[in-house]
Amino acid sequence: MPSDKDWFDRFVIGLPERRLFKFLAARILVPFWAWWTPVKPLPGGPHPSAQPGDNLQCMMNLIMPLKDKSAVGRAKAAGAIAANKDQIYAGLNNVGTVHFARFVIVGDNICMFSVYDGDFTNYIRDFIATIGSVFNAVVELVEGGEDVIPCEHNAEAFIEWVHARDLYQVPDTATGVLRDQEALKGDKAASGDDDLDLLPRRLTLQLHANPNVSLGSGYRAYPGYSAAQIRKQLGIGW
Amino acid sequence: MSAEFDAADVQGNILRGYRKLRVRHLMLEIADRIAARRWLAASTSGRDEGIPQITRGSWGDAKPDSCFNIGLTYEGLQALGTPGSSLKTFPNEFIQGMSARALKLGDVGKSAPEKWPSPFDDPRRIHLIATIYADEVAQLDQVQRRALADGNALRLLGTREGCCFPDDQVHFGYRDNITQPRFAEVHDPQRYDDGQPMAPLGTVLLGYSTNFEGLKWRVPQPDALGLNGTFNAFRVLEQDVVGFEEYLDRTATDLLANPQVDELLPRGAEAKIASSRRAALRELVAANLCGRWRDGTPLALSADAPDPGVDRTKFDYADDSRCPYGAHIRRCNPRGGQIVQRVANNSRRLVRRGMPYGPAYDPEKPDRAKIERGLLGNFIGASLGAQFEAMSCDWLNLGLQDPRVTGSNDPIVGANDTETSWFDLPLKSGATIRLRGLPRFVHTRGGAYTFLPSLSAIRFLGAL
Ligand code: HEM
Repeated sequence: MPSDKDWFDRFVIGLPERRLFKFLAARILVPFWAWWTPVKPLPGGPHPSAQPGDNLQCMMNLIMPLKDKSAVGRAKAAGAIAANKDQIYAGLNNVGTVHFARFVIVGDNICMFSVYDGDFTNYIRDFIATIGSVFNAVVELVEGGEDVIPCEHNAEAFIEWVHARDLYQVPDTATGVLRDQEALKGDKAASGDDDLDLLPRRLTLQLHANPNVSLGSGYRAYPGYSAAQIRKQLGIGW
Repeated sequence: MSAEFDAADVQGNILRGYRKLRVRHLMLEIADRIAARRWLAASTSGRDEGIPQITRGSWGDAKPDSCFNIGLTYEGLQALGTPGSSLKTFPNEFIQGMSARALKLGDVGKSAPEKWPSPFDDPRRIHLIATIYADEVAQLDQVQRRALADGNALRLLGTREGCCFPDDQVHFGYRDNITQPRFAEVHDPQRYDDGQPMAPLGTVLLGYSTNFEGLKWRVPQPDALGLNGTFNAFRVLEQDVVGFEEYLDRTATDLLANPQVDELLPRGAEAKIASSRRAALRELVAANLCGRWRDGTPLALSADAPDPGVDRTKFDYADDSRCPYGAHIRRCNPRGGQIVQRVANNSRRLVRRGMPYGPAYDPEKPDRAKIERGLLGNFIGASLGAQFEAMSCDWLNLGLQDPRVTGSNDPIVGANDTETSWFDLPLKSGATIRLRGLPRFVHTRGGAYTFLPSLSAIRFLGAL
């Protein structure tokens, strides 16, 4: 005999694509549904892998909500980047494993998007170890930044802080989302619960918990090469 | 926050090795919190009867006949009733535990934690690992009996026992225990100048400066618990000795047919290495995989043949070094050589305290039944994330430190797969011969991340 929950799920999935329903779904049903079936936000960053090639050219999408959500606040953030840009870039160069990095303001967030090789914690640790106090000028403008300043004295906390603000990367395969959710619950082995009917539901709930995500792990023109390998091939020193 | 350094407050196996012939690790579960606290308090009471006394770092010329040390897992700290406000100041990787970090450590396939035998199949129950060092089995037994006399405190889940081979040899036939970080504050006559910078104490103890300027690792709170402590990655590493020797056989045969073989081993040069050309090629390959000949001679100083006359430790990796970029010791410690992560030279150094387990392999008498042999390794550092894990995932298994090895794994301990593995043997001309099809020689059969508390911390926990 189906439980109440199954009934409710089917009801939600079966909702017609009508305008009124869409409005109700977005404003009332999804929040209610999320409350009914709580889903934890999935952790950010690339998926751990034991394949060496998967651990090259990883993407970081760091979204840091500004404390001051006004044009003035955004201008301050732009100023903090401009004032420290040379040192930050020199630091990234010293880390040695970074392909690209850029700072972007989207909404009231200062964002750092980068492509790096290898392990995330090593990247962030080496970065903060090499530029020391410089990044504090950026972090202090961000909500929750005071918890980790000075970054160079709180390396572990800073790494966790960055990780928590790195976007969840929706897996490239549809069933990957289901798998991620199982992993978060601590279920190691695949349950075989690959019911694709569940996917839109799970994804909606995940997007409710995690409003910003990265879709897939991205396109690469020359996958499997490290920044240093490319530099070496181009003869520009690594 | 830098503490005044007092070796008597540090457990004795961290700063110097005991060099005893035998080791036994006891994997223990806390049976009763109150009794376990009493046990900890007694282990530092100074009364040498009942519970064995924790050996301190201040042992001088009079090294005790047997040494006794402990490490606690996160679950162990919890089981003792350590307050939540303290627990959350421990680093993430320690809180999660070794089995949760499997992908980072290359513990996949046959090495995956789900395949580990008891007691490592139920890692949450391993609370405390007590380690006994002595020369005789009878001494190990005696200390073990004393340690477990109070059945209410600790329950024995399993043991692992190791034993030294002559000349510090380990399975695969190499001499080990040559290089360790040296600390200005510690006098150790075993360790003389190796040309490398002294390691700051913060490499191996919490509360001191690290190799990263201005950066210290978070000391678990309160200071009485965290200061002078450190972390250990205990690893049971099974070594496939037969597979390793067979690989050398196969590779030597292939090389004999390789057109570049005379550049690798000039005609006549084999005489300095072994009795035949094929046997010499086997040894040459073994030396390149490790970065040392099996007798310990570093390739960086003597690439053509083993030479007992050269210094075993004092060398660096200059641009024209003939030690392969991918060799085990160069991957684990690139010394002053150029690496991609420019700030990381010397920052990931580990104190290693390991001993072989299982009988030495004798090719004259092949095993009739399956016998497990390997290394009981302890990889000690103040930050598991910045040292043991960083080395394992980016250096041993991805080869990120040098574009010439990126995409390959450590030839000896890496998570290799015959389909994709490769290793470049350097030639004098700068060209290389690429070896392929290296199987995985070392499999993980258990382990745990432990916190090695200071003597003050053991007292603190005993008084909770
Ligand atoms: C069964 C597995 C292993 C074997 C047989 C092995 C063997 C060796 C040998 C023969 C040496 C040279 C001796 C010396 O310089 O002291 C060495 C050095 C070293 N190994 Fe391993 N090893 C193993 C696993 C590991 C693992 C898992 C790690 C790290 C995660 C590691 C890290 C090191 C380091 C740091 C050195 C010193 C290099 C230096 O400072 O020059 N080893 N190992």
